[in-house]
Amino acid sequence: MVEIVVLVKQVPDTNAKIEIKDGRADLSMIKWITSPYDEYALEVALQHKEAVGGSVTALTLGPARCDKTLKDAKALGVDKIARVDVDEGYVDSLSIQSMLAEACKSLGAEVVYCGKAAADTNAGSTGPGVAEKLGWASIANVTNVVFADNSLELMQPAPEGQAKIGVNLPAVITCDKGMGEPRRANVKGIMMAKRAVVDLIETGNFEGNTSVIEHTSPPQKPPGKSYEGSEHVSEVVKLLRDEANVI
Amino acid sequence: MPYEALDFYDVDSLLTEEELMVRDMVREWVDDKVIPNIEQACRDGVFPDEWRQDLGEMGVLGAPLKGYGCPGLSYTAYGLICQELERGDSGLRSFASVQGSLAMYPIWDFGSEEQKEKYLPKMATGEYVGCFGLTEPDYGSNPGDMITRAEELEDGFLLNGAKMWITNGTIADLAVVWAKLDGKIRGFIVEKDDEGFSAPEMKGKHSLKASVTSELVFQDCKIPKDRILPNVSGLRGPFSCLNNARYGISWGAIGAAQACFNSAKEYALSRIQFDHPIASYQLVQNKLSWMLREITKGQLLAYHLGKKKDEGNWFPEQISLAKMNNVDIALEIARVARDIHGANGILDEYPIMRHMANLESVKTYEGTHDIHNLILGRYITGIQSFTRKL
Repeated sequence: MVEIVVLVKQVPDTNAKIEIKDGRADLSMIKWITSPYDEYALEVALQHKEAVGGSVTALTLGPARCDKTLKDAKALGVDKIARVDVDEGYVDSLSIQSMLAEACKSLGAEVVYCGKAAADTNAGSTGPGVAEKLGWASIANVTNVVFADNSLELMQPAPEGQAKIGVNLPAVITCDKGMGEPRRANVKGIMMAKRAVVDLIETGNFEGNTSVIEHTSPPQKPPGKSYEGSEHVSEVVKLLRDEANVI
Repeated sequence: MPYEALDFYDVDSLLTEEELMVRDMVREWVDDKVIPNIEQACRDGVFPDEWRQDLGEMGVLGAPLKGYGCPGLSYTAYGLICQELERGDSGLRSFASVQGSLAMYPIWDFGSEEQKEKYLPKMATGEYVGCFGLTEPDYGSNPGDMITRAEELEDGFLLNGAKMWITNGTIADLAVVWAKLDGKIRGFIVEKDDEGFSAPEMKGKHSLKASVTSELVFQDCKIPKDRILPNVSGLRGPFSCLNNARYGISWGAIGAAQACFNSAKEYALSRIQFDHPIASYQLVQNKLSWMLREITKGQLLAYHLGKKKDEGNWFPEQISLAKMNNVDIALEIARVARDIHGANGILDEYPIMRHMANLESVKTYEGTHDIHNLILGRYITGIQSFTRKL
């Protein structure tokens, strides 16, 4: 029986068009989703529970809108859902890691899973940061896990190809694809999610030492190249192979 | 390109969290599993068995029924499920409509306790597939004059007759069959291995190609005594089922219309003629704005009817209006979308022709467009015009 916590982050839909207004990303009208790599982490956490027993808590940090991500996790089968309540706006990485680490402690976590990087920042800092704050082992970019009672056997990319890593719990694991497609919710799960209550977790205030000065849009992509006529075939093939790397 | 549903009047804001989650679950499943495979299923003329399993695993079969392993969702949620399924294909929505509204519902409402316990949990998971036998070769809009007969024996019933245009017939584990017993229409449960029962598939359809359509043949088909639905007699039985199925169709048609609208919009924005996207021309914009107008009205009609169903405050003519209107506009939207796609509209690279051909069936089954007009005509005037026996 193991106390499993999975960190899930609500991020703007990866297809959303983000507008900049007065030097800040305007997120008021966008659709929010669960960060895709966190969905893989959720799948691993549920498989962990199924393999050795225990309890899975989905934990997030953010304003009340993030409850949707927790309810979605509940519909997939987690036992509990919890949120560290912070206001809308920028919270720096160090503060996030500190608050999440404290929340993990208060939940009695023995193992923490999260995605290898969030789809909005792509920073990949939360998992290792939480591990650092907890003083736990940290294993990143994991593609496969074999579960045992108090330890895990993990696969992660290595310079030689793949490395098989053994770790005793407690540990923080960041997940890549590899453990199968995340499961789909079903109506029974959705009914459970409707009734589920989000536990609000109090943590200390952690003042960040960074702030956002300004948001800017990424530079516009240069216009695509177009070719007409069969005389360009070999050039197009060369570009597809050498520049686009698609063939 | 990810699917972006048209929601001009923000109907989403009227839905509960649970309804939205169910809708999104089915929407994602349709995007992942149905749309990439539907054209092949149509070419092969099969209903993929994994869709049956997935629908059962998602727990959406018999959506609004409560107890006996059924989901117990709102009628609005059931409508949303139908909408998303039919955005994939009308044949897929037909499978779910027949299973839930036409086969599970009569057992749930009119069956004995033993029948409910025996069939409903396995039908909710998709383990058992059901079909509904009402229409006959010579009796479509006029089921009251059906020929299929049941005769009571000492130890059971003997069925003789034939049904036609039966969705799921060949793949069904059980059929809810309507037949006359001593001149009165009664419902019977026939199992696939019952002696004297066969369900040959009807081939050669240009419509609903990914749906199984069959005849049901009863030749001295003997079934045990406990297979009669004890709690209903007369046309009220099959018509109650049809009300639920027609309600689902009113939502489903919006899904098909949305698929056609989306494809037409994307095509119009990317297709260049006379140096400009055809979406920049007034005639095309007129077509797209007409589609948006009709879809929005149809959504509100279906949503409001769903609320009335949930409150138990509805009458059948309201369902006739919604089914008739929404299928009608969906079919017309498919035709106009084909127009916008030009010659490309006939290819199976686009969903247009498939939806158009499907909707020709949907316009006809579950009460034809004309019959629904007559139902409304009777409601308005108090005079039935189905027959000359005035």
